[in-house]
Amino acid sequence: MSGLGDVLHLLITANLWQATLAAAVLLLLPALGGTISERSGVVNIAMEGMMLTGAFFGVAADLAWHNPWLATGVAMLAGALMASIHAFVSIQFRADQIVSGIAINIFAAGLTVFLINRIYGLQDVGHIGQDALLPNLNIPGLDQIPFFGKVLFQQNVIVYVALVLLVLIHLVLFRTRLGLRIRAVGEHPQAADTAGINVFAIRYGAVITSGLLSGLSGAFLAIGISNTFVPNMTDGRGYIALAAMIFGKWTPFGAFVACLIFGLGQAIYDNNSIIHVSPYLLSMLPYLLTLIVLAGLVGRSTPPAADGLPYVPGSE
Amino acid sequence: MPLGSVLLAFVIGAVIVAATGGNPFSAYAALVCGGFGIGCTQGENPALQISNTIVFLIPLITAGVAVALPFRAGLFNIGAEGQLLAGSIACTAVGIKFSSLPAPILLPMVLISGMIAGALWAGVAGVLKATIGAHEVVTTIMMNYIAQWLLRYLIIGGPLQLAAGTSKSSPIGAGARLATILPNDNSLFIFGLPSSVFRVHTGLFIALAAVAVFAFLLWRTSLGYEIRAVGQSQKAARYAGVSVRRTIIVTMLIAGAFSGLAGAIEIAGVDHNLTDKYFTDTTGFDAIAVALLGLGSAVGIVMAAVLFGALHAGGSVMQADANISGNLVFILQALILFSIAANFVGAIRQRIPGLGRPTALPPQMPPAAPLMTEAATPPAEA
Repeated sequence: MSGLGDVLHLLITANLWQATLAAAVLLLLPALGGTISERSGVVNIAMEGMMLTGAFFGVAADLAWHNPWLATGVAMLAGALMASIHAFVSIQFRADQIVSGIAINIFAAGLTVFLINRIYGLQDVGHIGQDALLPNLNIPGLDQIPFFGKVLFQQNVIVYVALVLLVLIHLVLFRTRLGLRIRAVGEHPQAADTAGINVFAIRYGAVITSGLLSGLSGAFLAIGISNTFVPNMTDGRGYIALAAMIFGKWTPFGAFVACLIFGLGQAIYDNNSIIHVSPYLLSMLPYLLTLIVLAGLVGRSTPPAADGLPYVPGSE
Repeated sequence: MPLGSVLLAFVIGAVIVAATGGNPFSAYAALVCGGFGIGCTQGENPALQISNTIVFLIPLITAGVAVALPFRAGLFNIGAEGQLLAGSIACTAVGIKFSSLPAPILLPMVLISGMIAGALWAGVAGVLKATIGAHEVVTTIMMNYIAQWLLRYLIIGGPLQLAAGTSKSSPIGAGARLATILPNDNSLFIFGLPSSVFRVHTGLFIALAAVAVFAFLLWRTSLGYEIRAVGQSQKAARYAGVSVRRTIIVTMLIAGAFSGLAGAIEIAGVDHNLTDKYFTDTTGFDAIAVALLGLGSAVGIVMAAVLFGALHAGGSVMQADANISGNLVFILQALILFSIAANFVGAIRQRIPGLGRPTALPPQMPPAAPLMTEAATPPAEA
């Protein structure tokens, strides 16, 4: 077998799509976080750093307590703490949100390695036992459905959580009063303020939510997919999530579609024994695709109107 | 230079070290020793430490210019890293391909090809910004990662790989290398060490020339005027007859050329081949801190590059002498960025009676907001 036949054969295996969904969810969580943050008007390029911090503290907590649930909570909290620095600096002090985002990413990369050194010495962090990892969960009955059972119902527990969050966040953003407020604050904060909406509170909440989601993704990466922490283990995934957010035009389901496309690339990468393309070239695809989307070849992608604009109460 | 921001960052850094059970005083003493060769206790050679600092600051100056120039036009080039990698790749490829050429021909060739590659890399963002209105922050991030993966492809299994199983390229020709300032001689002893260990190279003069060109271009040419005009107000610039689109593209091309030059200098002056060291290179991100801390002025950029060069050179000494991870340097760098961007020092000064209005204003930089909203509408042509 060779060439096109191999590709087609790969595309009809349930294994590939199962891996695609898992890889997509890893990107989806920070992409959802970014979407919420930017919908409220705070530019967030710090998902990479928040995810990395989450991954580190998730592993550290899991090594200490052998409890993946507690560790996941710690990871989310760590992500949220990083996010609250971003929120504090860019909402309270009206700092340039891009500079703040870059600083978060540098801070996270430095802090995690610094802490490995302080806590674990110069050796590596250590591995987590199988019983303390985030488990796979087969949904009884449904997992026996041919093809779809394997793809949809034999997944890590975080995959189900993420899919529920996807629907939930979509509903909150577009079907509730809170969502309307978030979007109003992101489009026209002055008008929102006049209407009695607390712009600062909404923005703080949105940015911290992005930290919780990125931290959760970090936990999924470190104590679900992997079983240890290595420096810079997120390896640009937070930035791919940013790309997915833009690709998806700042909507949850749009981001999910983008994540599925990128996840499929990742899954093909992992099954690369069949397709003879350098995995490194394949890794470029999410970024290239996003550039193409940005170039307007697949429709315009427009951010919320007040995205990146610090809110000064009483300003015009 | 906003020294208050730097000071504040070091204070918070000390708290982080102390909170994790380290001794901040010995950590900082080791940093100063490693960066400036002052007060060394473990027998470090001061001249060697200063040489190391200079080696670090050469690309920081050159890439710092590549961030500072677009700032003046209201553009945020966070793609200096990708442009730098493109420059290193082009420099290496040309330096290998034409390795037999003599230095007077080959050296300019590799440096210029690095500049062209960097310019093209940044030009993508410039053209997309000028024609479609795509935000340059996002496009340069994408170009950063494309460059990173291209590099990994090229030296792991790709056409530049030295041999199977390695993750490096073959070395560039002798004619493509920048000379070291001290003779590369094992038998000649200078400052008590063989002069070959001092890696400080003539790229220093290129970096200083680059920052001089930056200042001249910005303040003494009509292009520089146009860049500043576009940065102040695109609308006003348009009324003054400046082509905003052209200025954006040209600014990004020049910035990319500077970044690409930084990458080419690293290959020609220090490494002589592409290695996996470049996978984790952060020079292009350090350059953002250099440009911000240097307030976008030539002298400021050089001073900020000295600081960050010293921090990076000091990091390894701190690791060895004080048993504090060299990654503290990145923490300090991030804290400096937070501190400048949020103007914490200004806020503190305002709270203290008698000090009055803050004097250290954040660097002249357009807020992200107009950039972001303009993403939806490409700049109109006059």
